Amino acid sequence: MIRSFWAIAFNGFREARRNRVTLVLAFFAGLLLLSASLITDITIATFDRVLIDIGLGGMSLILVLLAIFLSSSLLSREIERRTIFMVVSKPVSRGMFLVARLAGNMLTLTVLQVLMCALLLLEFWSLRTPITTPTLLAMGMLWFELLLLSSLGFLMSSFAGSMTSAFVTVSMFFVGHLSGDIYQLAQRSKNVALKMLGTTLYYVLPNLERFNLRGQASYGIVVPARELLSSAVYGLAYSAILIWLAALVFGRRDFR
Amino acid sequence: MTRNSLELEGLSKTYRLGFWLSRQVKALEGLDLTIEQGQVYGLLGPNGAGKSTTIKIVMNLVRATSGTARLFGKPPTDTETRRQVGFVPENPAPYEYLTGREFVQLAAHLGGVPRAEVARRSMEVLESVGMGRAADLQIRRYSKGMIQRVALAQAVVHRPPLLILDEPTSGLDPVGRRMVRDFILEERKRGTTVLFCTHIIPDVEALCDRVAVLVNGHRVREGRVADLLTAAVPQMELVIEGLSAERLRSFGRTLDDVQQLEARLLVRAADAEAQALVAQVLQAGGRISSMQPGKFTLEELFLQALSEAKHGTVGGEIL
Repeated sequence: MIRSFWAIAFNGFREARRNRVTLVLAFFAGLLLLSASLITDITIATFDRVLIDIGLGGMSLILVLLAIFLSSSLLSREIERRTIFMVVSKPVSRGMFLVARLAGNMLTLTVLQVLMCALLLLEFWSLRTPITTPTLLAMGMLWFELLLLSSLGFLMSSFAGSMTSAFVTVSMFFVGHLSGDIYQLAQRSKNVALKMLGTTLYYVLPNLERFNLRGQASYGIVVPARELLSSAVYGLAYSAILIWLAALVFGRRDFR
Repeated sequence: MTRNSLELEGLSKTYRLGFWLSRQVKALEGLDLTIEQGQVYGLLGPNGAGKSTTIKIVMNLVRATSGTARLFGKPPTDTETRRQVGFVPENPAPYEYLTGREFVQLAAHLGGVPRAEVARRSMEVLESVGMGRAADLQIRRYSKGMIQRVALAQAVVHRPPLLILDEPTSGLDPVGRRMVRDFILEERKRGTTVLFCTHIIPDVEALCDRVAVLVNGHRVREGRVADLLTAAVPQMELVIEGLSAERLRSFGRTLDDVQQLEARLLVRAADAEAQALVAQVLQAGGRISSMQPGKFTLEELFLQALSEAKHGTVGGEIL
């Protein structure tokens, strides 16, 4: 069973590696990160801060786009192209297939993230920008956001088409970064129903701001370990629920 | 005791379609089928008869609305049971970013081939289907026939005792069809049970021990191919010498067809009529130079079954 899991996961990694969109995005990510130093020419006093901001922001944007692109089309594409027939008919449970495909996706994103981080750190080192703990923490916490978005994309593509999945996942990305603001706004309202709605949305929708430590990295603020741990557990638990829901839906589907 | 490879009991499937799932299409109704080990079994039927639905239920791709399917005595949802099955879907779609070798190796890993044997066994089956030289080309560059060969290779790489093939010869050129037929015969020699569905009748006649004819989700015929053809012989064919056609007609028998072949008459008549006609011809001084059952093919049996079922529509019964 473990062998089947890794066979499917590595196959997913191989698929992404041979996918032109992944390669083009990875190439542009490299260009974006390297060009960050050119943009910083406009500033002298805050050179390090701008470099960290642009570097981390660029990396985050490219990886989030890739996470949405890879996850939201994966299952629906397998079903539309009927490639799934020859895999799900093997001695592999549907749940395991789904988790293994997600693992393959995360393996691709992790490898790309490690490469981008290495490139960015090399750039920092060559431009004598200090490599601080907050910067490294911001890089690490991004992984949990990618996991959560990938799980959401998987859940969507377990029952919807590629376009719908991508649209919903992108929307959830924006909403997820604004859920704190939605909560704050609702709390200021005098309408009880609106207040309740805001609170419910805050607790139900993913709070992606928990994984955004780019601001802290720019200003060199170290986030307490307890807060980091709580965000990591939140990310893992939220993703686990999404994957469980995806497995539930996927397990009941007819592949016609 | 013969062990059954596959048993279907009262298998039914109704698809729910539309945004509100309010439209229903009955694809299969109360199908009973038993396939013994070592048999080559054909599921014959027009498009929309329920052949692919049956196979998809057996392969756990579609859930039956009611009834049971058992592979080697266990339900298709049992993951380990599927290790004993090799499957080729209709219009197989392997991952086109992989090479043929990589795809078959993936199937070998999933099928539980011992790790040390994966590379050797994969190459062995690829060569057996004539894909040895193209094994390292990406599947996106393959022709339809080559994809079908790779699909067959991935189905047998783990040496399953049961092979399930959905329309394996559909869309192939004569060379490809011949290859698939040889492949099935080779598997039969090994003792593999083969279930395949098709609407290509000569394939069933040439390969199958038993056949079931499905029409609009119902089984309308089932049995050994030879028995079905013998039992269904509708008429006799006689060659008569020494009598004219007019004289023959004067006997007052119901003859389906009378043709003059130089000095002989070729006569087709129902079996009972033909037996009585023989005596009359001999009495009148004629000679019977040949008498044999009229040729009856599976195609005629198939068309007869279709007309008896009185279902002219295609695509399942819409409720």
